[in-house]
Amino acid sequence: MAQQQTDYVTLVSSDGFEFKLQRSAATISGAIKRMLDPISNFTEAQTNTCTFENIKYDSLHPLSHHAAFMESSVDSPRSGVVLEKVCEYLYYNEKHKNNKDVPDMDIPPELCLELLMAADFLDGEFAVGYLGFGC
Amino acid sequence: MVSSTIQGLHGDDVDFESTWTTLASSFKEIHTKNASKLSYEELYRHAYRIVLKKKESQTVAASIQGLVTGSLLSGAHGSAAVTTANERREAGWRFLKGLKEAWQDHQLCMSMLADVLMYMDRVYCTDHRRPSIFVTAMNLFRDCILLSKSSSEADSLTILAILNGIILDQIQMERDGDIIDKHLIKSCVYMLEGLYEADQEVEDQRLYVTSFEADFLNASREFYRKEGEFLLRESDAGAYCRHAQRRITEEQDRCRSTLSESTTPKIEQVVEDELVRNKLRELIEMESGVRHMIDNDRSADLRLMYILNSKVDPLKKEFTSATQRRIKEMGAEINAAAIAASQAQPAPPADADGDKPKAPGDRALSQQTVAALKWVEDVLNLKDKYDSFWKVSFDSDQGMQKAISSSFTDFINSATFTRSSEYISLFIDENMKKGIKGKTETEVDQVLEKAIILLQYVQDKDMFERYYKKHLCRRLLMNKSLSNDVEKQMISRMKVEQGNNFTLKLEAMFKDMTISEELTTGFKGHVAKLGDADAGRAELAINVLTSMTWPLETMGSSGDNEESRKMRCIFPPAIERIKKSFEKYYSDKHSGRQLTWLANMGSADLRATFPKVQTKEGIKERKHELNVSTYAMVILLLFNDIPASQSITFEEIQAKTNIPTSDLVRNLQSLAVAPKTRILIKEPMSKDVKPTDRFSFNEGFSGKFHKIKVGVVTAGNKVETDKERQSTEEKNNESRGFCIDAAVVRIMKQRKELTHQQLVTETLSQLATQFKPDINMIKKKIESLIEREYLERIDEAKVPSYRYLA
Repeated sequence: MAQQQTDYVTLVSSDGFEFKLQRSAATISGAIKRMLDPISNFTEAQTNTCTFENIKYDSLHPLSHHAAFMESSVDSPRSGVVLEKVCEYLYYNEKHKNNKDVPDMDIPPELCLELLMAADFLDGEFAVGYLGFGC
Repeated sequence: MVSSTIQGLHGDDVDFESTWTTLASSFKEIHTKNASKLSYEELYRHAYRIVLKKKESQTVAASIQGLVTGSLLSGAHGSAAVTTANERREAGWRFLKGLKEAWQDHQLCMSMLADVLMYMDRVYCTDHRRPSIFVTAMNLFRDCILLSKSSSEADSLTILAILNGIILDQIQMERDGDIIDKHLIKSCVYMLEGLYEADQEVEDQRLYVTSFEADFLNASREFYRKEGEFLLRESDAGAYCRHAQRRITEEQDRCRSTLSESTTPKIEQVVEDELVRNKLRELIEMESGVRHMIDNDRSADLRLMYILNSKVDPLKKEFTSATQRRIKEMGAEINAAAIAASQAQPAPPADADGDKPKAPGDRALSQQTVAALKWVEDVLNLKDKYDSFWKVSFDSDQGMQKAISSSFTDFINSATFTRSSEYISLFIDENMKKGIKGKTETEVDQVLEKAIILLQYVQDKDMFERYYKKHLCRRLLMNKSLSNDVEKQMISRMKVEQGNNFTLKLEAMFKDMTISEELTTGFKGHVAKLGDADAGRAELAINVLTSMTWPLETMGSSGDNEESRKMRCIFPPAIERIKKSFEKYYSDKHSGRQLTWLANMGSADLRATFPKVQTKEGIKERKHELNVSTYAMVILLLFNDIPASQSITFEEIQAKTNIPTSDLVRNLQSLAVAPKTRILIKEPMSKDVKPTDRFSFNEGFSGKFHKIKVGVVTAGNKVETDKERQSTEEKNNESRGFCIDAAVVRIMKQRKELTHQQLVTETLSQLATQFKPDINMIKKKIESLIEREYLERIDEAKVPSYRYLA
């Protein structure tokens, strides 16, 4: 059977970075929510761990194969960075979800595209948010 | 767009076939509940990739449909085995359970599948306006399971039909008192509610609505129709109402616990239609219907009936009319009883409707009076009865109150029973004279209140006023009233109820009484001042009555008023002197007023001395104080002037006194015939007084008491004889004529020109508070106004119209 529902879940990036964050924050994302749904009882729900093979710089982003793109980001551990930013957003969202006049989140321009892709993949309302001020 | 530019770049990056194979096999795993081995992230990623490759999406959608269909069809066989079973309870239960499980499994799998394919839902289905994966899957369930045949034969039912049949069967069992698995049925109903007839999810196209609900309502209608018919035959109305009420609550509960809330109003409608609306008339007219309930004070049953009727008809027509009918019936009974009681007299029936001979007529009259009082009591009881129904059973409903009132008005004013105003006034009279003796203030209040209530129902208020005045007049002049306060209270109540106009004359009567008292004391003082102290002088108490306000003609006996007015009674000299001196006193005070002496209404106290007779205590002179009417006094004083042994004939008495014949007859009757007050001896001794009879002073008269009251026949307030009634009615009609005249002139003065119809309507409405005028009478009055040149006909008008001539 599934493990007991924990308050914290682990998100793992394809290059091995692990982020532990509150379940309530993480399940804002439709994909993560369904992944961890105890009724469906997938592997992720049992281990409370989501590994994102996709959120990897080269595989996630179709443009990563583009020569120009490759050149500019050849040696950076992008996957972890992207997921970190995602987690940052999840908390940011959790923190401000009931507030008005929320300060903008700081998004480095070079991550914009990756984050947009990740947002689309993870399916959350935040995708719209990113589109709004990130790009 | 980003995606369109990347498509070409990625063309062969994802191998559709292999990815699909992975997905398909995982779906099968999901179906067999082995999801825990799978990684959502992996499946999701695959689906994501496929979707990104746009052109493949459609293929996926189709493939998924095929896949799901396949798995459903294989699953269906599992439950199909159950569906072939018969319709018995156990089998039904198993079927429902099987279906429910299949449904729940399907739902779970499909939601997982939809989760996995979420990205496709979001991107592909929305963009292409296709139903989402989950909806598609649900529709597949509908098509493959519910709409499939239960067996291979062509004419076999679909599973859906069987499901409906089973649920209906279960509900029927519950109605018959069995216990069923409500929860299970509820789950199946949920399923039907979750599925739609067509692929678009339109709210009123849910399978529940399109397939089950109609069947359910039809079956229920059939059931309740039969049940209603059965119950009408087998049980009484009260039980029926209780049953119907219970069925309605049951159906409400059933919708809540077993079916869907959305059905509640519809099934209620069905039950109400079948058990109440269609059966209502029969129900109300049943032997044990409204009539029976009212007669037996079944207020609880009545209440139920009332509630049921108000459910199907906010105006409660049927029920109201049944109640009204019963009121009228009971009212008519009371009326009939009163008429019967008043006519059940010792006199032979031939005399009953004609002018009755005096002696038996009197007895009949008092009998009528009793009947009148009984009538009022009965009406009041009836009113009490319905009032309590109204409070307990009819929710104090305004409409019902109106209906009840109007029925009371109807029977109280019914054409066959015209004496209600007289009876009510008589009732008040009786209470004023005797009824309120020894009662507390609140009790008196209640009696007055009742009288007022009845008065509200009377339409011919002028008739009542006439009678009331007459009765009040007697009470005041003869000092019969027990309490002046209560009298005044009554008047003020009428004032509140009927307005100032109504009580104006009644109040004037009281005022006259007060003024008369002052006059009497004033006159006494005046006489004392004159100084001629005469011991033998009679004292005078006077009531001066304004002739317009007092119904003086009703005080005398009927018919011979003209005669009495013409013939002034000749008073003995002693009395005549006082009369003269008062006339002088009065005209000094109010010049120009004319006094008419109404001897027929007065009374006198006489001190009479009877000669010594041998008694047990020895020889004693006997003195009596006689209270007699003024006429009787005049007659008795005649005997003062003649020796005791001498006798006078009737004609002689009349010649000397000038008393009208009928009054003389009555007074002589009470003086010479009535056994206890036989002060005169009549020859020959008989009951009737004839013009040839001779009278002499009864020296041997003996009375037990010192004071003796010589009553005059018909002094009390009784029901009128038919002849009296006729004259009262004539007078009433006369005064009504004046009222109509006045009203017509008032209206025309204001409006100048008016059509005939409008004029009649306005006149009717103006006079409604006083009485209900006869249309013919209005016509006649208009004619006479035209003759008298108050109005003229407008010749050129299309409809008959009148113009006011100033």
